[in-house]
Amino acid sequence: MDWQTWLIGIVGRALAYGTPLLWATLGEVYAERAGVVNLGIEGMMAMGALMAFATAQTTGDPWLGLLAALAVGGVLALLHAFLTVTLRANQYVSGLSLTLLGLGLSGLLGRGWEGIALRAPLPNVTIPGLASIPLLGPMLFQDESILTYLGLLLALVLWIVLWRTRWGIVIRAVGEAPGAADAVGINVALVRYLCVVLGGLLAGVAGGYLSVVYRPAWTEGMSAGMGWVVIALTIFASWDPLQAVGGALLFGALYHLSFRLQQWVAPELLKLMPYAFAIVVLAFVGLGKAQRRRGAPAALGLPYVRGER
Amino acid sequence: MKALRWTLVALAVFGVLGLAQAKLKVGFIYVGPIGDYGWTHAHNEGRLIAEKTLGIETVYVESVPEGEVETYIDLLVRQGCRVIFTTSFGFMDGTLAAAKRYPNVIFAHCSGFKRAPNMMSYMADFYQVYYLNGLMAGALTKTGKIGYVGAFPIPEVKRHINAFTLGVRAVNPRATVHVRWIYEWYSPPAAKEATEALIAEGCDVFAFTEDSPTVITVAAAKGLLSFGHYSPMYDFAPDYVVSGQLVHWDKIYVEFLKGVLEGKYTTKNLAHIDYWWLLSQEAVELGAKPGMVINPKHEAALKAVKVKTPDLGEISVYDLVYARLAQMGAPGVSFDPFQGPVKDRKGLLRVPEGFWLSYDALITMEWAVEGVVGPWPGEP
Repeated sequence: MDWQTWLIGIVGRALAYGTPLLWATLGEVYAERAGVVNLGIEGMMAMGALMAFATAQTTGDPWLGLLAALAVGGVLALLHAFLTVTLRANQYVSGLSLTLLGLGLSGLLGRGWEGIALRAPLPNVTIPGLASIPLLGPMLFQDESILTYLGLLLALVLWIVLWRTRWGIVIRAVGEAPGAADAVGINVALVRYLCVVLGGLLAGVAGGYLSVVYRPAWTEGMSAGMGWVVIALTIFASWDPLQAVGGALLFGALYHLSFRLQQWVAPELLKLMPYAFAIVVLAFVGLGKAQRRRGAPAALGLPYVRGER
Repeated sequence: MKALRWTLVALAVFGVLGLAQAKLKVGFIYVGPIGDYGWTHAHNEGRLIAEKTLGIETVYVESVPEGEVETYIDLLVRQGCRVIFTTSFGFMDGTLAAAKRYPNVIFAHCSGFKRAPNMMSYMADFYQVYYLNGLMAGALTKTGKIGYVGAFPIPEVKRHINAFTLGVRAVNPRATVHVRWIYEWYSPPAAKEATEALIAEGCDVFAFTEDSPTVITVAAAKGLLSFGHYSPMYDFAPDYVVSGQLVHWDKIYVEFLKGVLEGKYTTKNLAHIDYWWLLSQEAVELGAKPGMVINPKHEAALKAVKVKTPDLGEISVYDLVYARLAQMGAPGVSFDPFQGPVKDRKGLLRVPEGFWLSYDALITMEWAVEGVVGPWPGEP
């Protein structure tokens, strides 16, 4: 097998597996940039997967399914925002509870939906013209999900908003120094609410992708720990939407390679590879902390109480 | 008057309690969620049938981590369970410890080999069915490469891959079975990526050990054939699921619990009770879904391929599948996938001509047969 076939295969799989990671990571980047950690991603993805499947199966429209996933992710995130921003509950506890809630509830509500093939999966697309470019065509424009392209586009938009607009300054200010932001008249609670809910919406779609595109069927626990990878990828990406693209694709490629390379490398070692790699990169990120942009938002994880800080 | 009323209430309460005590309460501990549509789903279907058939009361706990089985056994014993089934290999030692702690409770452990006076073991094993699916896979592959997504490299899975490969090579001596391990019993993303990796290598027919229909849906999306595992998976890809392995845990659950109800099985006499149920006990079934042994869409292709066999002469693969099924399905089994001569892939003769493998050799199998390609952790 020549290197081109390998490259096409790896990039193709990296995009397919990386897409849900990208969507959810983009959301988590925004939530954390505003100062709120959301460990509930896994639960939101599980609920998103179930809602997307149930809706697409009932209505016959995968887009309605994804819309339902978006909605349920948003509702769960709203709950997280209410608990952590309004009630100032511990963000980690609230997030973990939401993960448990989402996994448990999706299992309970999902009874009866397992064992059915989705009648209306979202088909992949091949872009005419572009797909016939040698190498790049089959790599990027053949048999891809529309959600992959939307995810990449979204990353660009969110990057521009975060770094090149006043909204971005506001969000970052709320995450770095909520007291100062409050002093200049920014509604800290509102900004945090919006960012957390955005995170939930995107996590919901990531879950929907799993049950409507990636593997068009529902089984309990099908998010299979991806939500935790997202938390790591957010740090890995230094809370930056474009770096999230790199992180998600890299993780997708390594995940795929952990099966491709089994003929030559011990499978136990390969199984560790994506995670070991994440640790190595995190160490490098730690060393590079001197650059201001790379560090975590200063107020990450801290509830804001006017006058206390 | 008041006293009478209280007496009536007391009588009613005692009556209900008495009834509750008369009804046998049976607990099930599952390693996965009952919605997995694989291993745990199948056990739960068996539980429901046993409950209905025998009029017993059952409770279950799902997604129990293997290290925490004792905690949940404690819970079920406190709830009044007199019989407890634990359905994962990793529950074995915890169940044994609990059996010693609760000598008045009957335990039954699935897929292991340790027993006690109040603990039996049971398994509905698929190796014969895998062999039959292998016969079909060998006839249907065009590239000569068949993909197998395996959960863990443990004897049970290795036995199944070996039996499958022996089937493949019986009709297609040059075909190979390519194995990828995912190190999970249940992980749709891992199963999906492993299948994609096998497709990239040129495999065009698939079998697997993973508790979801992922391999089937991924293969079908590329127009490739596959065999279902554990639950009826025909509906996921009616054009592409050729056949598969189906389980009927209810056969074992009903039979064993009937024995308990009749007093045949007690907390004293289980040390040598091991249900190792195969085709002839009807605990396992060959089929894409119950009643459909071979998907009619692929019958013609299987009838078109003829092979020479030592005992049946020249025969179509379609007829061969039914012939072997009959030989293994009737009492007085007259064929076994591992009947000699069988060599491992390093060339060592593992089963000499004229011999069958013993039960112990089957459940401790670590070697790989000729034709298996790919990593094989623990290969002797």
